[in-house]
Amino acid sequence: MLEILDLAKRYGPVVALDGTTFTARPGRIVGFLGPNGAGKTTTMRCVFGLARPERGEVRWKGSIVDRDTRLRFGYMPEQRGLYPRMRVAEQLSYFAQQHGLPGKVANAAALRWLERMGLADRAKSKLEELSHGNQQRVQLATALVHDPELLVLDEPFSGLDPIGIATMTDVVRERAGAGVGVVFSSHQLDLVEDVCEDVVIIARGRVVASGPIEELKSASGRQHLEVEVAGSDGEWLDGRRDLTVLERSGDRVKLLVDRSVDLDDLLGRARAAGEVRMFAYGPPKLSELFMEAVAPDVATEGVA
Amino acid sequence: MPRWRSVWLVARREIFERGRSRGFILSVAFTTLIVVGSFIVPALLFGEDEATKVGVVEPAPTGLAAAIEATAERFDQDVAMSTYPDAAAADAALGNGTVDVVVEMPADLSGPGGIRFDKETDQGTAQLIATATIGLRAQAVLDQSDVDQAALAAAQRPPTITALEPQTEDDQAKFLVANIGAVLILVGIFSFGFTVLTGVVEEKQSRVVEVVLSTVRARDLLMGKVLGIGALGVVQLVVFVVAALAAALATNRLTLPTTTPGAIAMLGLWFVLGYLLYSTALGFLGALASRMEEASNASTPVTMVAMISYFVAIFAVIDDPSGTVATIATFLPPSAPFVVPLRAAFDAIPPWQIGLSVLITMAGIWILFVVGARVYAGAVLQVVGRMKLRDAWRSAGE
Repeated sequence: MLEILDLAKRYGPVVALDGTTFTARPGRIVGFLGPNGAGKTTTMRCVFGLARPERGEVRWKGSIVDRDTRLRFGYMPEQRGLYPRMRVAEQLSYFAQQHGLPGKVANAAALRWLERMGLADRAKSKLEELSHGNQQRVQLATALVHDPELLVLDEPFSGLDPIGIATMTDVVRERAGAGVGVVFSSHQLDLVEDVCEDVVIIARGRVVASGPIEELKSASGRQHLEVEVAGSDGEWLDGRRDLTVLERSGDRVKLLVDRSVDLDDLLGRARAAGEVRMFAYGPPKLSELFMEAVAPDVATEGVA
Repeated sequence: MPRWRSVWLVARREIFERGRSRGFILSVAFTTLIVVGSFIVPALLFGEDEATKVGVVEPAPTGLAAAIEATAERFDQDVAMSTYPDAAAADAALGNGTVDVVVEMPADLSGPGGIRFDKETDQGTAQLIATATIGLRAQAVLDQSDVDQAALAAAQRPPTITALEPQTEDDQAKFLVANIGAVLILVGIFSFGFTVLTGVVEEKQSRVVEVVLSTVRARDLLMGKVLGIGALGVVQLVVFVVAALAAALATNRLTLPTTTPGAIAMLGLWFVLGYLLYSTALGFLGALASRMEEASNASTPVTMVAMISYFVAIFAVIDDPSGTVATIATFLPPSAPFVVPLRAAFDAIPPWQIGLSVLITMAGIWILFVVGARVYAGAVLQVVGRMKLRDAWRSAGE
C-alpha cells in the first residue's frame, strides 16, 4: 500500500503541498484529480524523490520509500522525456537495467513491451522518428518495462487519440488486475470515472475528497437532476436556493439539488411551465463531485 | 542495486550512443587524417635536404671540382658535380633546373671566372664556390714561389665553429612534442568537456532527466556521464598519438626525442586529470542552464580559467621551466594539467613535484565533484530559466 502522509512543500511564496495525505492500495486504480497547480505533480515527484517535502513522508508497504524501493516503482512524468536519438528497444532496456534487471532479461522485457504497445517493428528506430502518440506509448512502456509494483502516471492520457487511450486503459487495467497499485492524474474526468475505482481530489495542496467513486457519490449531499421542459429555458427554477444550475442549453437544464429537495414540488413546477419531456434524477457525475469538492478554488484557479 | 552498476550503465550508454554517432566517428577520422597529413604533406613537398647541384663548364682548371667538393665538405654541405661542354649547354641545364648553379673558369687560371644562378643568387653556395676558386688560383701562385708547403697547409685550416648553448635536434623535437602535448590537452579538455556540458543540457531540455533521476542518483548520473564521455576522449587521444607516431616514423620527418615515452605517459595522465576536473565543472554549470545558449554563458568562467592556465603554461614554462611561476602553477589544479606535462617534456620537474601535483589535482577533482554533484542535483530538475549557483546549492540541501 502506498501511503502519502502529511506532505508539505513550498516553492518560494507558493504553497504546493499543505498536508497532503492519502493511500493507494495494490490492485486498485486511483484517479488523482485536482485543478492545475493543486499539487498533483509535486506529490508524484515527492514519491520519486524528485522533490523534497519539507514535512511528511511517503511509505510503501509500511516502510519509508527509499531508492531501492523506487526501483520497484514505475513513473511516467507529466513532462514527457526520453533520449530522442536513442533506439527505442535499447532505450527501454536501458531503463529496465537501471531498475535492476540483468541485461538479457531487460532486452527481452523491452521487446515484449514494444510488442504489447504495437511497436515491435519500430524496435530499432530512434525515438525521434516516432509519431507523438507512439512516443507516448514508449514513455508508458518505460514506466512498465521492469514490471513495477506501483505505477505512477502523470497525465498519461493527455495528447492521445482514442486508440491510444484505449491501449493505455487496457494496459493500466491489466496491471491493476495483476495486483499492481496504480495512481494516475488526469483532467479527463469521464475517463477517470470509467477507469478508476478510487479517486483522490486535491485542491491547494490538500486532499478535499478521497475514496471509492461509488461511496463518494452516495455520500454526496447533492444529487444530479436533468430536466427538459418544452418551450422553457428554466425560468420556473428562479428563486430556488436549494439547487445549483450547472448548465442551460435550449429547453434542457442540468442541476445539482440537495438530497432533501422535494422532487414532487419541482416536477409540479416544471409541469406548470410546459410539457416535461425529461426528468432524470440520480447520483452526481464525477465531474460534479469534482466541481463541488474544489469549489472554493474554481473561481481563482479554473479547471482545464 | 549497487551504485557502481548504475554509474556503469550511465557510462556505457554514453559510450555506445556517442561512440556510434556519426559525429564522433567523423571527428576521430578527421583528426587522424590531419595528423597523418601534417607529416606526409611536408615530406612530399620538401623531401630530404638535397645536395646542391653544381655544373662546371669545360674546359675547366684541373682540380676545380675536387676543390669545390673539399670546401663543401669542410662546411658540412653536400654538392653534386657535373660538367658541360660549353656555356650554352650549362645555362640550358640551369634554366631547366638540372643544376642549381654554374661555374665557369679559365682552364689556365688566368681569370677569376664566374658563378651563375638561374633567378635568385644563393649567397651561401656562391661563397662556398668562391672560396674554392680563389683558393685554387692562390695555390697556383704560391706553388711558383718557395713557400713552405706544410706551413701553408697549416695556415689554411679553418677555425673551429661551435655554439655556446648548442641546440641539438633532440631539443627541438622535445620542444615540438611538449607543445603538441599542451595543445592536445587543451583541445581534448574543451571538446570532451563541452560534450559533457551539452549532454547535461540536452538531458535537462528533453526532460528525460526526470525519468532517469527517479531511479539514478544525480551524483551517479553526473559521474557516469563524465566517465563515459572521458572514455571516448581517451580513445580519440590514443588514435591521435598512434597515428602521429606511426606517421612520424614512416616519413622520417622527426627524430623522436629520447623523452617521447615519458611525454606520452604524461600526456595520457594529465589529459585524464584535466578532463575530469574541467568536465565536472562544465557538467554542473550546464545543469544551471535550461537552454543551450544559457549553457555557453554559464560555462564562460571555466573556459576563461582553462585558457589562462594554458597561456601560463605556454609562456611561463617555455620561458623558464623551473621558475617560480611554473612551480606555483604546478600545484594549482586548474593549471597543473597544462604545466606539468610541459615541464616534464623539458626534463625540468623533479618526480616529487609530479607526484604531489597529481595528488593535489585529484583532491581538487574530488572536491569539485562533491560540490558539483550537489549543485547538479539541485539544478537539473529545475525547469524555469537559468538558475543561480546559490539557489541550486540550497535546493539540493533541503
